[in-house]
Amino acid sequence: MKQAQHTNEQLKNASNVALASLLNLTLLPVISFIYLLFIYKNTKPGQIDHYHAKLGIKLNLVAFAALFLVSALMILLGGFNSPWTWVYVISYFTIVHTIFIVIAVWALVRAWSGDKLTKN
Amino acid sequence: MRETFTKGMARNIYYGGGVFFFLVLIGLTVDTVTTIPKTDNRDNLTEQVAAGKRLWEKNDCIGCHTLLGEGAYFAPELGNVYTRFGKSTDAIKGFIKSRPKNGIPGRRSMPQFNFTDEQLEELAQFLKYVDGIKTARNWPPNVQG
Amino acid sequence: MKYQSQSIARLYFIAAIALFIGQILFGVTMGLQYVWGDFLFPAIPFNVARMVHTNLLIVWLLFGFMGAAYYLIPEESERELFAPWLAKLMFWIFLVAGALTILGYLLVPYATLAEMTMDDLLPTMGREFLEQPTITKIGIVIVALAFLFNIGMTILTGRKTVINLVLLTGLTGLAVFFLFAFYVPDNLVLDKYFWWFVVHLWVEGVWELIMASMLAYVLIKVTGVDREVIEKWLYIIIAMALISGLVGTGHHFFWIGTPDYWQWLGSIFSALEPIPFFMMTLFAFNVVNKRRRNHPNKAAVLWALGTAVMAFLGAGVWGFLHTLAPVNFYTHGTQITAAHGHMAFYGAYVMVNLTVISYAMPIIRGKQANNERAQVIEMWSFWLMTVSMVFITLFLTGAGILQVYLQRYSEAPLPFIVVQEKLALFYWLREFAGLVFLVGLILYVYSFFAKGKEVEIVEDLDMKKAVTS
Repeated sequence: MKQAQHTNEQLKNASNVALASLLNLTLLPVISFIYLLFIYKNTKPGQIDHYHAKLGIKLNLVAFAALFLVSALMILLGGFNSPWTWVYVISYFTIVHTIFIVIAVWALVRAWSGDKLTKN
Repeated sequence: MRETFTKGMARNIYYGGGVFFFLVLIGLTVDTVTTIPKTDNRDNLTEQVAAGKRLWEKNDCIGCHTLLGEGAYFAPELGNVYTRFGKSTDAIKGFIKSRPKNGIPGRRSMPQFNFTDEQLEELAQFLKYVDGIKTARNWPPNVQG
Repeated sequence: MKYQSQSIARLYFIAAIALFIGQILFGVTMGLQYVWGDFLFPAIPFNVARMVHTNLLIVWLLFGFMGAAYYLIPEESERELFAPWLAKLMFWIFLVAGALTILGYLLVPYATLAEMTMDDLLPTMGREFLEQPTITKIGIVIVALAFLFNIGMTILTGRKTVINLVLLTGLTGLAVFFLFAFYVPDNLVLDKYFWWFVVHLWVEGVWELIMASMLAYVLIKVTGVDREVIEKWLYIIIAMALISGLVGTGHHFFWIGTPDYWQWLGSIFSALEPIPFFMMTLFAFNVVNKRRRNHPNKAAVLWALGTAVMAFLGAGVWGFLHTLAPVNFYTHGTQITAAHGHMAFYGAYVMVNLTVISYAMPIIRGKQANNERAQVIEMWSFWLMTVSMVFITLFLTGAGILQVYLQRYSEAPLPFIVVQEKLALFYWLREFAGLVFLVGLILYVYSFFAKGKEVEIVEDLDMKKAVTS
């Protein structure tokens, strides 16, 4: 189950980027993402920290699209003043947002143990 | 990071935080209890109102209705029903009194409780008293409850 | 099973599941009454069905908590239960008292029940969730005291671990805060204020201690992760639960005639209430990821992960959704509350009980884990119940948003009953999801009887290194 050995620095970076990815989805959006990009620049391809940084960036971009673009589209198509728009937007946003958070939590515990998201 | 955070520290946060915020809750409770005479409409809390509250409880009205937003969500909010019924206790009494015994076919129905006139008056007075409680921002948002 | 007296838990678990079935049957009945207004009227009016639904839930969760305590406390304390006969006696007293109370709700009008039980001597009936006749409430206190005495003596004379001490604290808190059920002042504001000292301080306070310790126990057993690590998580989770949840009670004091400062305090502290549930998810994921063994009871691991995620979703996320005062101004007492209530209770307290039952029942029945087929069926029931509960929540949320808009937010608010008719589609969908939940529950019960190939025994399950690091 254990992957190749990682240096402490890489493990620390991996944990930090995974945490940044989670924070960007919850308490500190945008700032955390900038921090994530910043660390990503200092990682080397093939290493665990690079992997988690890239995963975090991808996850957050997909989350952004799925949450804000899709919600915006719903509002655009449904109309701002229709109650049905808000029925869909609020339910959708809440559940999908949570799904992304849960994925980010799993990514974080995998980063802590120096593993990739899934077993290869 | 997680190595420097020991179990002892976690335990201290639990005990310290738990005790501290419990004391805060007690302090706030003391303040609340001493402040609410301004809002709780106690001047109108008569024997009749208290009897109405007992009827409200003995018939489990909260099992269908909300009262100031708390209860079941099957039937209308009653915290402001006195206002909604045009500030008329007679309207409230008339409504309760006229519920058909076997309900209204296919619709949500309120049971017929066979209250005496005295009991009806007590219930109506209780609902009038509740309407007089000063809630923040005059909740509920509008007359529909 | 190390200690003979642990097997008393079996009685409690069986009763819990039986009452759970009753709860769901009344749940689908009420769901139907939402769209077929006079279904069973006037024989079983909505308020009676609801009382049975919620009271059965509370009683079976208490059976589950007590069963879990009787199972795990002897093992944690490394000794037999202090008085097994007392645990058995209290079981029958509680079961009979509970059954009589439910029958009372169903067979006579509530007001008649109040007369029969001489409620006038000490009136405590007719408040939401605390509808039990006063005599039943006194019975609950007696059972709770005997129970606390029994497990308390077991712990005090045995090994003290963080898990059994936290569980004892939580259960003691449960009993203490229940005493507020006997305080029913005429002043409605005071009445409501202290009513929450039972309801909120249970489900958003001491029950979280109970839940976290039950989850921690099962996770130690199924993952073999170092107890030190798990205990540290446990402390920090319950610390956050109390730090956020005690003053977080204020989110119930927005609109009941209490001072305005609760708007701020309630909003801020209850906004922190998702944190302990979030940490439970992180905790469960983390220790399962770092597991030192693959426990043959896969179903129990699934329930443990499931309760962590669903508690976060139902109690955490869905609670946060409507906890801020400016939002709650519009959503208070609507179907949004119902949506949150359903998923929070299922995700946190139903599922944590099923987690412990799933782990402990096979051991009580003399094997490490159920046979493979039984586990597959149990996991199917997990997914059916969990997914249908997500849908129940989504449909009620949809209904709630529409209700808020039409009845409270719109320029021309519509009357309650008119709005309810416009929500019928959501209620039908919810009812359908409820029936799927019932199917899941039937499968769950069936999984206890399913025969199949027994799982291989893993020898080192009690390995000392896992316990002592």
